[in-house]
Amino acid sequence: MIDNGLLVQMLLGALLGLSVYLPLAAGQLSLATPAFYAVGGTLAALLSTRWSALGATASGGFPVPSLLLELVLGGLLAGLLALLVGRLVLRLQGIYLAIATIALVEIVRVAILNLPFTGGAVGIFAIPQPFATAAGYLLPALALLALAGWVCQRLEGMPLGRAMAAIRDDELAARCMGIDTTGAKLTAFVLSAVLAGSTGALAAHFLNTWNARQGSFDASITTLAFVILGGSRTWLGPVVGGLLLTALPELLRPVGDVRLVLFGLVILLGPVLAPQGLITPGLLERLGRWGEGGKP
Amino acid sequence: MSQPLLEVRDLSRRFGGLLALDRVSLAVQPGEIFGLIGPNGAGKTTLFNLISGVTPPSSGAVLWRGAAITGQQPHRLNRLGLARTFQNLRLFEGLSVLDNLLVPLQRHPRTSTAAGVLNSASHRRAERQRLDTAWQLLEELGLSALAERQAGTLAYGDRRRLEMARALATRPALLLLDEPAAGLNPAEKDQLCELIGALRQRHQLTVMIIEHHVPLLMRLCDRLAVLDFGVRIALGTPEEVRRDPQVIEAYLGTGTGGNAS
Amino acid sequence: MIEALLQTLLNGAASGGVYALVALGYTLVFSVLGVINFAQGALFSVGGYLTFLLMGGKIGVNGALPGWGLPEGLPFWLALLLAAAGSGLIGLLVERLAFAPLRRRNAEPLLALITSLGAGVVLVNLLQLLMGAEGYAFPQSTDALAGLPDVLVLGGARIRTIQLLLLLISAAAVLVLSLWLDRSKGGRALRAVAEDATTAQLLGIHSEAMVRLAFFLSGGLAGLGGGLIGVSVSLPGPYFGIGYGLKGLAVLVLGGLGSVPGAIAGGLLMGLAEALVPSSASGWRDALAFAILFGVLLLRPSGLLGRRTVEKV
Repeated sequence: MIDNGLLVQMLLGALLGLSVYLPLAAGQLSLATPAFYAVGGTLAALLSTRWSALGATASGGFPVPSLLLELVLGGLLAGLLALLVGRLVLRLQGIYLAIATIALVEIVRVAILNLPFTGGAVGIFAIPQPFATAAGYLLPALALLALAGWVCQRLEGMPLGRAMAAIRDDELAARCMGIDTTGAKLTAFVLSAVLAGSTGALAAHFLNTWNARQGSFDASITTLAFVILGGSRTWLGPVVGGLLLTALPELLRPVGDVRLVLFGLVILLGPVLAPQGLITPGLLERLGRWGEGGKP
Repeated sequence: MSQPLLEVRDLSRRFGGLLALDRVSLAVQPGEIFGLIGPNGAGKTTLFNLISGVTPPSSGAVLWRGAAITGQQPHRLNRLGLARTFQNLRLFEGLSVLDNLLVPLQRHPRTSTAAGVLNSASHRRAERQRLDTAWQLLEELGLSALAERQAGTLAYGDRRRLEMARALATRPALLLLDEPAAGLNPAEKDQLCELIGALRQRHQLTVMIIEHHVPLLMRLCDRLAVLDFGVRIALGTPEEVRRDPQVIEAYLGTGTGGNAS
Repeated sequence: MIEALLQTLLNGAASGGVYALVALGYTLVFSVLGVINFAQGALFSVGGYLTFLLMGGKIGVNGALPGWGLPEGLPFWLALLLAAAGSGLIGLLVERLAFAPLRRRNAEPLLALITSLGAGVVLVNLLQLLMGAEGYAFPQSTDALAGLPDVLVLGGARIRTIQLLLLLISAAAVLVLSLWLDRSKGGRALRAVAEDATTAQLLGIHSEAMVRLAFFLSGGLAGLGGGLIGVSVSLPGPYFGIGYGLKGLAVLVLGGLGSVPGAIAGGLLMGLAEALVPSSASGWRDALAFAILFGVLLLRPSGLLGRRTVEKV
C-alpha cells in the first residue's frame, strides 16, 4: 500500500513539520512554511528548466550535483526572505503573528500566480528528473530529514535551543535574563525557512510540475496539524505527525471520496483526544526506560 | 562619595491619566543594599520596570556608572550587569531547575551557534563551565537536590530562591529584588535576610530591594527610599527614615508598618 | 467617467459589505472566546449552497443525488434568510465539536485553530460529496429577485440590481447586529461576557449560552455572505468560501480584533481598495488585502480601531 512515491511524500511532510516546529519551539506561531516551500520550489523549477548550465538533458534527466546546488540555493533564497520579513513580523505576538504569516503565504501565492515567468495557473512543468524512479528521491529526502533532525537534537543541548525554550515559556523573563529574544526568534524563523526552501526545491523535482497551489493557506494549516497532532514539545513529534498525516489521505484512498472528510475528522478530533500530541517528552522517557529493560 | 553605580534622575511614568512615578531621583552606591518601601501602588515595581528596561519612562533619565542607559532593551541592560527578580515569579516553568540557570548562563562563557551545532571542543568546554557554575549556584541557594525537577512544580520558597539564583547566573553588579520575602514564613524571612547578606559578600553585589516587611528592611539595608503615590518622600539610613515625620504619616503612622500584603 | 467611478465604488462597497459580514462573524466569536474560528470560510460556502438549493437549484451530475432538488424554489429573500439560519445552526455544531471539548479541558487556545479548521475541512468535503466539485450558477430569472429589474440606471450608471441588494442587505445586517449589540439586553449580555466572563457569570449571565449565541450569529453572517455572493456571482465550487474567509481575516485584523466598528470600516476599506485596482492588474487583486494587512500590522499591530494592550509585570 505504501509505495516509494508515497514514502518520499511522507518524508517531505516530516520536513515541513519540522519547519513549522522550529519557530514554535521559540513560542512563535508562524504559518509561513508554505510560502518558503513555494519560494524554494519555484526557484528550483525555474533554474532547472531555464538554466542550461545546470545540465538538464533533452530526455528530461538532471545531474545530482545540480540538484544539491538547488537545495542549497532554494534554502538560501527562502532564508533571505525570512530574514527580511522576520525582522518586521516577529515583533507581533500570538495570533497577530499567525495572521501576518498567513498574509505572507497569500502574497507569495498570488505573486507566483501572476509573475510573468512562473507559468501562471498551469505553472512550470516538465521539471527534469535527477532520478529515474521515485525510489531515487528517498535518499536525498532521508538525508535532509536526518540533517534537520540532527540540528534540532543538537539545539536542545546548546544556548540557542535553551533560549528558544525560555522564550516559549516567558519571553519577558528571558529578555531580563540577557537573552536577545529578537535574535533567537529570528534565527529560529530563518532556520525554518531554509528547511522549507530546500524541501521545496526537492519537491519540485519529485513532483515534476510546480505551481502556485503548492503553497497555500490549506498547506499552512495542514503543516501546523503535523506539529499539533504529532506533538510540539520534542522534534520527533512533528516528524511522526508529518509522516502519518501525509500518508493518511493516501491510505484512505480505498474508501473513495469520503477520505477527505475522514482526514478533516482526524484534524478535528486529534487535539481533543490528545492535546499534547502523539509524541510527548513523557512518552519518550517511558520508551527510554523500557528500552533499557527497566520498569517504570 | 564615589560615582554611584546606578542613578535615577527625575524619572516619571504615566499610564493614561495615572502618574505612577513622579520625578523620582535617587542614587545607589556600589556595594550597598538599598531598600525601597512604600504602600501598595506607590510605584515601587514601576521604578524597577523602568530601571530594568521592561517599561520605557515617560521622562527622566537612568544612568549606569554615569552613562545614560534610559530606554535600552532589557537584555542589553542585563548584559551591562543589571539583573532582577519578579514580584509574581516568572520562572521558566516548563524547564528543569538546572535549565533555568543554563538559560542565563549562555553568555558565560559565550559560544557561537555553529560551534554548538557541530558540538566542537570549545562548545563542550563551555558547556562544562556553564554546568559547573550552575551547580555552584544551586549549592549556594540550597537547590541542588531539586536540579532535575521542573521549575513549575517547586514549592513557593524554592521558587523564590530559584529566581534569585537565575538572576545571579547573569553575573550582575546590581541585583534588583522585587519582594523576595513575600509569602515566606518568619523563619524563612530570617534565612533570606542572611542569604542576601552572604550573596552580597560572595558576588560583590549591589542590591536594590523592594519589601513590605519593614523590620527586615531596617535590619538589612544601608539606605532606604520611601515612595508614596509615585513621589519619593524620604531617603536616608534606616534610622533617618524611621524618624522622618512625612514617612510616619504616610506609611508607618498608619499602623500597617508590619506586613501589608 | 463619473458613471464608471460610481459603478466601481458601488462594486467595491458591495464586496466590502460581504467582507464586513465575514469579519463580524469572526469578531463575535473572538470577543467571547478570544479565538479565531477557522471554519468561517466553510460556513460561507455552506450558506451559498443552501441558498442555491432553497431557491430550487438542482444537484449536478457529480453530486450524491444527481438531479435532486426542491420541487418548488423559495423566493430569494426567504431562501437567503433560511440559508443564513441553517449556516448558523451548523456554526453551533462546529462549536459543539471543535470548541466546547477544548474549553472543558482548559486546553491551549492554539488548539482551536486546528480543530476549527478540521471542522472546515469536514464541511467543505461533505459539500463536495453532496454537490460535486463543479460550479453552479443561480437561475437568473426576474422572479428570482422578487420582480425587480436586473439592471437599474442610476445617474447614468447601469448598475446590476443584485449588487445594490448585496450592499443594502449586508449594510442592514451589520446595522441590525451593531444596534442589537449596543441596545438590547441580549446584546449587552454578550458584550459583558466578552469583557469579563467570570464577572458576567456572577451577575447571572449564562456565558455558555452567550458562546452558543455568538457561534449561531457568526455562522449566520457567514452563510448570509455566501448566499449573497452566490446569487450575485456564482458558486465556483465547494472551496469558494475559503478565500472569503481569509479576506475576512485580513479585514478583522485591519479593523482591530474584537472591534465591531473596526470590522465594518475595514470591510468597506478593503472592498473599495480592491475595486480600485485597475483591470490590467486584476490578477494581483487577491494579494492587495494581505499587503494592506501586512502594512497595518507593522504600523499598528492592534489594528486601526483596536485597543492596545499592555503586559502586566
